[in-house]
Amino acid sequence: MKIYLKALSMHLKSELEYRVSFLLSFLSQIFIFFSYYFVILSLFTKFSHIRGFTLWEVLLCFSIIQFGFSFNEVFARGIDRFDRLIIKGDFDILLVRPKNILLQVLCSDSDFIKVSRVIQAVIVLILSLFHLKIEWNIFKIMTLLLMLLASCIIFFGIFLMAASYCFYTIQGLEVRNVFTDGGKYMAQYPIGIFQKGFVLFFTFIIPYAFVNYYPLLYLLGKKDSFLYGFSPLIVFLYLIPCISMFYVGIKRYTSVGS
Amino acid sequence: MSFIEVKQISKSFRVAKKKSGLKEAFKSFIKREYQIVKAVEDVSFSIDEGEIVGYIGPNGAGKSTTIKILSGILTPDSGECQIAGMIPWKNRVKYVKNIGVVFGQKSQLWWDIPAEDTFDLLKDIYEIPDEKYQSTKNDLIKKLNLEDIINIPVRQLSLGQRMRCEIAAALLHHPKILFLDEPTIGLDAVSKQLVRDFIKKINRENHTTIILTTHDMSDITTLAKRIILIGNGKVLYDGSLKKLKNQYETKTTIMVKTKDKLNIRKKGVLEKIKTKDGYQLVIHLKELSISELLTILSRKIEIDDIEIENESIDDIIVKLYEDYQI
Repeated sequence: MKIYLKALSMHLKSELEYRVSFLLSFLSQIFIFFSYYFVILSLFTKFSHIRGFTLWEVLLCFSIIQFGFSFNEVFARGIDRFDRLIIKGDFDILLVRPKNILLQVLCSDSDFIKVSRVIQAVIVLILSLFHLKIEWNIFKIMTLLLMLLASCIIFFGIFLMAASYCFYTIQGLEVRNVFTDGGKYMAQYPIGIFQKGFVLFFTFIIPYAFVNYYPLLYLLGKKDSFLYGFSPLIVFLYLIPCISMFYVGIKRYTSVGS
Repeated sequence: MSFIEVKQISKSFRVAKKKSGLKEAFKSFIKREYQIVKAVEDVSFSIDEGEIVGYIGPNGAGKSTTIKILSGILTPDSGECQIAGMIPWKNRVKYVKNIGVVFGQKSQLWWDIPAEDTFDLLKDIYEIPDEKYQSTKNDLIKKLNLEDIINIPVRQLSLGQRMRCEIAAALLHHPKILFLDEPTIGLDAVSKQLVRDFIKKINRENHTTIILTTHDMSDITTLAKRIILIGNGKVLYDGSLKKLKNQYETKTTIMVKTKDKLNIRKKGVLEKIKTKDGYQLVIHLKELSISELLTILSRKIEIDDIEIENESIDDIIVKLYEDYQI
């Protein structure tokens, strides 16, 4: 943990080396974010709700997914950019150091500009909570926190899976974007508004539904069972195959080479 | 059991066959043909603690693959290897504490910040105690002349300055073995000299075992008493540089400056050419040694000056490569 924090501060130091570029990028992130936001807003000027979800309910879902995604872009950028480590051959350098590989990959990169997105996600989250009339109790607060945590976890897992893919081929990385960016785009809306096939896919294959749909139903009082409220915990199970895939990838790397 | 013991290591890779042309590119996109390339085959050698070994061979001979196996990055298909009592590719974390690796073409320093920050991170990665870290760091700074460059962002350093920092970074944890993969590549003469002197120094003072790959033969002549030559994945020569020289250096050219007239008819003298102020002699070393020739010369003529041109080590290596057809 100490090593990771030190590496983070080194990345921050690196980025601050380029002062103007850092500030401009930070600002541009705000505009990008709002373009996403306006897509949703414009949808709701035509319809008052989508399959029973109102504007603020969708924005709540949107902000939770954005939070998790941006959080990983800041703190797990090394995994997101893992292809670079492989292509440049710098992965070899990590292998000759006496520390856990995953930790070292995490330390290898970070993108502090995306902090601005995390902040924006939190702002939208607070606004939507303010507008929604949720009857708060201790369980609902827990559910909300679990949703945020699960959102971070699921993108960590997806990044890791995409990284493992690099061990097999460094070409055709677009495939992974289907899962990261494509998945993220869909998951910004409550999964329930899509067709059944999608719901099943995002429940059992990539469990987005446990991040932003089942718990959301509980939070909004559409379902009363605690099971819905605690369903984000299932996402932790998803980490198991993701982490093992990564380690299988390392094994393959050491036996096959680059 | 030697410090480094490598026994019959083999490693092959599966490489996709690529032919030129767009049509072939489409074909290979649908169905790849693979080809097995033997990167190293039956490589064996043993190295004692404190030795400096030059590991040489043409491009693609298998040098990097061997280094990767020895440093635990790759697992060989077959063969045994024991270094400092451990098998490199098993128990990676424990093993790599004993080694330092410098890849001439890759950097372990962080690009945008001073090298000292990277050193601090390495301190934590290798769990070096504070006191030891400080004294090692100061020692390296002094020996590698880093005072003025350690606080400058790495991207602003020259190649030579960066390489000095790279080497320091690889030695912070006092490794028993140091792997140097082309450490002088692209450096100017002064930096090369500095790096070489330093490598010699740590070998002498810390008894560090050093394995070095290079294409620069003067690296080998100044540093390594022993060389291992590899070609097409096989060890072709393993022994002292001197022996290799004796074996391949058969002719030598001697320039003699004299005002006298020279008549020499001796077995072993292959050529005698009159120059502006003396003679140029080419002798066959197996038949006539330089000292014998000098005795003869001094009896016959007044020698003003003499110059012996040794065959350069590069020439020897070229001959060697030709001999082994690699």
